[in-house]
Amino acid sequence: MEEREISFATLPFGPQHPASSHFHALVKVEGEGVLELEPHPGYLHRGFEKLMEYRTHPQNCVLVDRICVLDPFANELGYVNAVEKLGNLEVPERGRYIRLIMTEFGRIQSHITWIGIMGMALGFDSICRIAWGDREKIIRLNEMATGGRLYPCYFCLGGTRRDISPEFVKLAFETLNYLEEQLDFYDRVFFNNESFITRTKGVGKLTAKEAIELGATGPNLRACGIDYDVRKDEPYEVYPKVNFRAITRVEGDAYARSLCRRDEIAESISIVRQLLRDLPEGPFNTEVNPLYAAPKGECYFCVEAARGELCFHMVSDGSPFPYRVKVRGPSFSHSLVEFPRLAKGAMIADIPVIYWSLDPCPADMDR
Amino acid sequence: MVLDQLRRVFEPFALLKNLFKKPMTLQFPYEVLPELGGYRGRHMLDLEKCAGCFICAMVCPNKAIFPVEFQGRKYPRVDLGKCCFCQLCEEYCPQNAIKLTSYAMLVTTDKESAVITPEELGKMPGH
Repeated sequence: MEEREISFATLPFGPQHPASSHFHALVKVEGEGVLELEPHPGYLHRGFEKLMEYRTHPQNCVLVDRICVLDPFANELGYVNAVEKLGNLEVPERGRYIRLIMTEFGRIQSHITWIGIMGMALGFDSICRIAWGDREKIIRLNEMATGGRLYPCYFCLGGTRRDISPEFVKLAFETLNYLEEQLDFYDRVFFNNESFITRTKGVGKLTAKEAIELGATGPNLRACGIDYDVRKDEPYEVYPKVNFRAITRVEGDAYARSLCRRDEIAESISIVRQLLRDLPEGPFNTEVNPLYAAPKGECYFCVEAARGELCFHMVSDGSPFPYRVKVRGPSFSHSLVEFPRLAKGAMIADIPVIYWSLDPCPADMDR
Repeated sequence: MVLDQLRRVFEPFALLKNLFKKPMTLQFPYEVLPELGGYRGRHMLDLEKCAGCFICAMVCPNKAIFPVEFQGRKYPRVDLGKCCFCQLCEEYCPQNAIKLTSYAMLVTTDKESAVITPEELGKMPGH
């Protein structure tokens, strides 16, 4: 019998590929099939954890925004909550409500941006433009409430830096109504699109056991049928007062992950509506010294960011600077652990689909 | 089942209606989005109120504010190339002297002109 010659090629994926953003991977292929995928992170490394050790807490609240551009509020929320937990700081009720309103808007913004990028990965450019156009509505809300479009620098120790105005509440309700209409539109042109279903159904299938082993969190974990949401299981801020459900699906493939995110947008819209309706009157923050020194000790605080579980491990030595901050970002396991496992045995054309169905953020991964 | 599939194939053509709509984008800088108020843009300094305490320089995360000599005393000078527009200088100014205006047309090809002297800081930007 003639021996078959095995010939494989190595293809680079990223860091300047439109479908990979700043993530680089070497893909070993044989024909159309992927033999192995080797991730090479580090193109966006900025050294946040070290930078934070040289900055005071108000300065760090501004810095943590930059960890993930698309979901800045969740980063700020995790940081301020970690310090507040360490120092037992009081936050007024209104401040807590405003924080969650903005964080949920951040989640909607992140997921809508993801719809655009996922469309682009599938070669569906129109949906990319439309989704990014809708994202602009939320960026305008950010601008109105915080003064910054992409980097809000909004949360501070003891509350938020600005109050929200009645005009903001009005515009927020209008935006939510608009987004709800748009969600139906996305269903018709994108999520129920035959080519989208064909490209994503059965692709990149992750079982529940594998997902837990690989450290998946957020929509990627919930798409495998595991009902785990930090907002539900370890509630923080005023989440216990809000009525919502953790979105789960059982299939665990790219299609299930996509629909999980789609349903999370709808759920977040409902959460923001409840929060805006119940928004209490009163002060929105308490005065905290810019050189506030958290007491000696350490704490661990987790929030549910748009992409998954985001945790801050903070060690304080009693000085105004944190002794050490360790950030556990959701994208690290998505792109460095789950992605190579799912890509093994897939087709080359499915690589961008698998990658974006996991929704990693290279900025959060490299930090 | 077949009808369902046909619907899923043809419904995305609803996108074609966008051909008859105006584009979402604006022709910047000829058209600009209306201001919503409170945008964090270029700084402005009230030279009379400024006490020269430099708490602004202390809280600045990017060390963009430096003390310089002007009219016989020290005033802050802002390097917009370093500034991240976080507004901490305004928030912690005890005299409410430094403020962020909503002026955001700050693009320049010259590095030197990104450094705003106290004299320029005293004037309303864009005038």
